Amino acid sequence: MRNWLTGLLIIGLVSIFGCGQQKELKVAVAAPYTGGAAAFGEMIRRGAELKQKEINEAGGINGMKLTLLFEDDAGKGSEASLVAERIANNPQIVAVVGHFNSDCSLAGQEIYDRAGIVELSPGSTAVEVCEGSPWTFRNLYHDGFQGKFIAHYLDNVLTGIESVAVFFDNDAYGRGLRNAFVAEAEKIGLTLVASEAYERDSTNFKAQLTSIKAKNPDAIFISGLFTEASLIVKQGREAGITAQFFGADGVDSPDFLTVAGSAAEGTYLTTPFTFGAGGAEAKQMETNFKALHGVAPDTWAALTYDAVGMIKEALEKTYNADASIEENRKAIREHLASLDTPEEGYKGVTGLTYFDIKGDTVNKPAYVKIVKDGQFVAAEKQLSELK
Amino acid sequence: MKDKLTPKTITFGLVVCFLPLLMYGVDDIVDFLSRYDIYLGWPGGEYMLRIIVRACVYMLLAVGLNIVCGFTGLLDLGYVCFYLIGGYTVGILMARLGVSYWIALPLAVLHGTVWGLLRGAPTLRLTGDYFAIVTFGFAELFFRIIRNEEWLVGAPNGQLRGIPSPTLFGITFNQNWHNYYHILILLTLVVFITYRLQHSRVGRAWVAIREDEQAAESMGINVSRYKSLAFAVSAAIGALGGGFIAQFQVSISVPFFDFWESILILCMVVLGGMGSIRGAMIGAAILGSLGEVLRPGFIIPYQFGNARYLIFGIILILLMRFRPGGLSLKKA
Amino acid sequence: MAQLLEQFINGLVLGGIYALIAVGYTMVYGIIQLINFAHGEIFMFGAYLALMLITVFNIPFWIAVPASMLLCAMLGMLIDLVAYRPLRDAPRLSALITAIGISLVLQNLARMIWSARPRLFPTETLPAFLVSEVNMQTGEILNAIPLPGGGILPYRDVCILLLAVVLMIALNRLIYLTKIGKAMRACAQNRVASNLMGIKTNQVIAVTFAIGSALGAIAGIMVGLSENITPTMGYYKGVAAFAAAVLGGIGNITGAMFGGIIIGLAEVLGAGYISGGYRLAIAYIIMIAVIVIRPSGLFGKSTANRA
Repeated sequence: MRNWLTGLLIIGLVSIFGCGQQKELKVAVAAPYTGGAAAFGEMIRRGAELKQKEINEAGGINGMKLTLLFEDDAGKGSEASLVAERIANNPQIVAVVGHFNSDCSLAGQEIYDRAGIVELSPGSTAVEVCEGSPWTFRNLYHDGFQGKFIAHYLDNVLTGIESVAVFFDNDAYGRGLRNAFVAEAEKIGLTLVASEAYERDSTNFKAQLTSIKAKNPDAIFISGLFTEASLIVKQGREAGITAQFFGADGVDSPDFLTVAGSAAEGTYLTTPFTFGAGGAEAKQMETNFKALHGVAPDTWAALTYDAVGMIKEALEKTYNADASIEENRKAIREHLASLDTPEEGYKGVTGLTYFDIKGDTVNKPAYVKIVKDGQFVAAEKQLSELK
Repeated sequence: MKDKLTPKTITFGLVVCFLPLLMYGVDDIVDFLSRYDIYLGWPGGEYMLRIIVRACVYMLLAVGLNIVCGFTGLLDLGYVCFYLIGGYTVGILMARLGVSYWIALPLAVLHGTVWGLLRGAPTLRLTGDYFAIVTFGFAELFFRIIRNEEWLVGAPNGQLRGIPSPTLFGITFNQNWHNYYHILILLTLVVFITYRLQHSRVGRAWVAIREDEQAAESMGINVSRYKSLAFAVSAAIGALGGGFIAQFQVSISVPFFDFWESILILCMVVLGGMGSIRGAMIGAAILGSLGEVLRPGFIIPYQFGNARYLIFGIILILLMRFRPGGLSLKKA
Repeated sequence: MAQLLEQFINGLVLGGIYALIAVGYTMVYGIIQLINFAHGEIFMFGAYLALMLITVFNIPFWIAVPASMLLCAMLGMLIDLVAYRPLRDAPRLSALITAIGISLVLQNLARMIWSARPRLFPTETLPAFLVSEVNMQTGEILNAIPLPGGGILPYRDVCILLLAVVLMIALNRLIYLTKIGKAMRACAQNRVASNLMGIKTNQVIAVTFAIGSALGAIAGIMVGLSENITPTMGYYKGVAAFAAAVLGGIGNITGAMFGGIIIGLAEVLGAGYISGGYRLAIAYIIMIAVIVIRPSGLFGKSTANRA
């Protein structure tokens, strides 16, 4: 017993007093690298790594190297609050890019607030994420907008859609988005014929799909992530559903196409960004990403790429090696908060990003993509006037 | 607990009592050294304290689970359900109805006890793994109710936000060191009660039931009554832990209370040695902090960060291989 | 009515898969009273290994399936040898914790080797009749039986169900008609006495692990065919299958088969007619009700007292 404890103690001490490095700026990238949402974490990591490589190859930030610390929250709020405390109390970390899941962003918020460190999320779309905290920002739209957008798109742009069914992921993201969608759909006169839930990580949806089919909707809105959506589309077609499938940004991943195969054909989805709509920078990023990682980037990689870029810009303008960590962290927040007009906004691969008073990005449009010949392409008709 | 006041126990007691000071002290030293460009990889006192508070909550839960698993020898795979009930009772009462923590916490304990008895009633006849799977089913049921019934929590996925910190005499207990002493008091109370129960008629009856239910019954022990008592006490402790964690985390959601938590708490009890309060606490202290200790940058370098739970698993296997009876017992 | 029929078929197919996994749990439990938590992970490895054999080593599907079963059987025996055998005489729950540890190790290993992204068997490597599709434009149905109401029953699902039934019958015959089956039954009744009778119990246990793991592997491949392959698939299907094993009376193979079918049907009918959010919960309620009424499961011996 005693030997055990002594051993543990020695390992602990060695690690605690291991030597640190200097002349680095450390930024934490918190995302689900393990657990059910790990596929998203993987793309987030890759996007961040690409930006890090580019920054350091271009000479770093004012001569200092940028180091990213990838902190795993496993997609769970309980883990996220520990990760947050760990990041907040590391006096070398100046800012946080993350979290991905809305649950995690919310769990970390309180702690980041107390410590005074910026939380810039490249993926949390739940409406509440940016409410009530001056330290939380995100560089994409929120579900209130997205749900509304999808309802309008179904009603105004697509023809012949009278009745819709919602098939939603039974978690904060899926339910939040569904609530926003349902509220707007009822307002504009779409008939909601079914609203079925499914569990995250389940792989068999035939039961719910069969009962949705009996209601005979014109369109089915899948409010969830691609891991399940790809199977829903596939099993739905097998069950004989001919309705139009419509997904949200959670569906936006190349893996959706590989798993759903030919069943994915004709599926619409909304996304905060699409490489087709991006400019030359986006093309360049896509090429570099493929060269570094061997796979095509997705929306989340691009958004993370930009989030790291925003932190880099903030550091470049505000970092003062003589100031205390608290002052440096605060300076980053002040810089981000000052990006409140289109002129001052950050121009990245996903377009212009600037924040409103809450830290939400309100200017970014939602793009609609459609699956054609096994590829995501921008849909013919976009709906850009809706704000 | 039978230890005399040796220098060792006095030191231990002092460390436990002044742990936050120690943590903040190290923080100051690190801060001081960093002014001379000496960086130590110290992870930060607040973070360490938070891990310790979490480990203490796990100790509390492990002591509670040990009553059913260790004393009465029934395998409970759904202990997390009382943790959840406690958490949401306190959470909903405080965040949505504005009830004071000092009223909400006892109510949560009461609520947990009621459900402990209700769950216990139909399972009195069951033994072994049939009992285990029923407890598991119950936990899943509660998990899904909180997840699906949006009106109950007011948000999807049981996402309950803005649970206020308790206040007493105008002081708000929202710091990590407040929480440390808070859980320390609760833990001491629970350990004291459990210890007294273990060494009373009740505790001996429980062990008798574990060893041989029929023999115990024929010796005049009212098996149903003592089993129900064990369920109630155990559930009350679980709900207490949940009530504490709700205000500690400020925002809770259902994934806090998933099946993995039940398994983790069970692992703690078995690892420490079934039926021993001290063992349960040691097991909880180790496993409750292991997940964090194995986080990259602590012991393992960042490149191997994803191997965290792999190493966790290997440690579980090795510990059981070489200490099958648990850490607190002599080698089997 | 058409909908009910369709749901019923959905439930049967799912139930068949559960039954195959549940058998693995119940066989191991019957002999060494261990809830083999790692069984779900072996099921997952079965799918991944077959995928590896097909995509990396270009082995045809028909050879990859038995090869994957064989590899999983070996994996099962290896786990028994390395982790469980040393704990044969230790407290029962210690072995349970070891099983949880192995489950963690295997799941994270799979995630590190194959990444967390969902995978599928590439269509072109599969035998043609296992690939069913509906052509949206022409409404033409490939390799499937059309159902009343517009749905289809793919040949793949028919194969899954038939194979599950055949494997179950074969296993049943194996247990009751062969010498090794007799040895397994003897060990399940009393391991020490069997040992005294000259049965090499460790070998028998190894064979049990091998058979259970091989069945798990083929169930994994089935799920890989009709759903997808992820590192967490073992956990979700494993828990439901474990519930099925207990429902049928743990340690009882016939029970595991019926338990699997019942859980599958309850899950599908519950999700289809009551609420998708309570999908498995409905199956668990039925399970609790059955156990409370019959404390040793549907087919378990009421005298069994294995606390």
